[in-house]
Amino acid sequence: MILTGREISKNVEDSRIRIEPFDHARITTNSYDLTLAEEYIEYTSEILDPRKAPEYKKCTIPVEGLRLKKGDFILASSKERVGSDHFVPIIHAKSGIARMGLFVHVTADLIDIGSFGNVTFQLYATLPVKVYPGMLLGQVTFWTPKGEIKLYEGKYQNSEGPQASKIYADGT
Amino acid sequence: MILTGAEIKESIRRGEIKLDPFDPEQVNPNSYNYRLGSKLKVFKEIKDDIQIFEDVVIPEEGYILEPHQMYLGHTAETIGSNKYAMSLIGRSSIGRLGLFLQISANLGHTTSSHKWTLEMVSVKPLKIYPYMKIGQVSFWENCGELMPDQFTYANFNAPQEAYIRHNNILGVS
Repeated sequence: MILTGREISKNVEDSRIRIEPFDHARITTNSYDLTLAEEYIEYTSEILDPRKAPEYKKCTIPVEGLRLKKGDFILASSKERVGSDHFVPIIHAKSGIARMGLFVHVTADLIDIGSFGNVTFQLYATLPVKVYPGMLLGQVTFWTPKGEIKLYEGKYQNSEGPQASKIYADGT
Repeated sequence: MILTGAEIKESIRRGEIKLDPFDPEQVNPNSYNYRLGSKLKVFKEIKDDIQIFEDVVIPEEGYILEPHQMYLGHTAETIGSNKYAMSLIGRSSIGRLGLFLQISANLGHTTSSHKWTLEMVSVKPLKIYPYMKIGQVSFWENCGELMPDQFTYANFNAPQEAYIRHNNILGVS
């Protein structure tokens, strides 16, 4: 089952869902809106190899906006820190963002229960688009789990800002 | 409701979920990490309105996916359930490298059980290796009565291109 906006609010008040900072105005019928933080990552490795740590540069989205060309791919993050030990979060684009041709994740929308931190957005532009720091970009929904809960203790726990892939740490 | 890792394990024990081969190490808090099988189909061309794919075996030393090219891979595991619906996606570590994996057709129907065909498009040149942990599958409870088996791709265990062409949906009526 998916939580309604009211149920998300109630669970934030009960600390069963953590959204920090939290603004009641961003609650929607079935989700909570997430905003775009300033920092982003751009890979500089010519070939991305899951056996090697990727090379990248950290940059800042200027207040006057960042232009993305069709085909550009960057990692950014939510300003909010999000997580729950009781519900499973799933990340989505806001429909207005998707309609502009901007994808906020390319495959991994499902977040582990117990994970907490800034959400990394996998921003992929299918059209020329401009993004601004603080803009409403994504939304998070919360789903009820079935079964005994074992909390996430993985390599992206307590993420601050966008996190590049750490798949090389798996020994692929 | 979405199954937790502990519930996925329990369901395997009860015969309600099939993950074969199964490794408890690949269980996540609310999903299971599946691996990439070694067979790949690479899109080549359109011939008489039919999509032609070429078969490739991913070598041990890896295979580089070209950006914006369409590839069909498959899961190393047989994945299925007679009780739950499934959602099959890429891992976040893979999404962060810019690989679109199953982006549009992530739904696995209850009662299907096979090695899944994976639709892959990379936005950067990306190396892939056989049997790397590439994605995750989650299991969802159904609401309502299940329909009996229907015609699906359920029998395929190698990358399988679309059936659509046989139905002349490409306009070759």
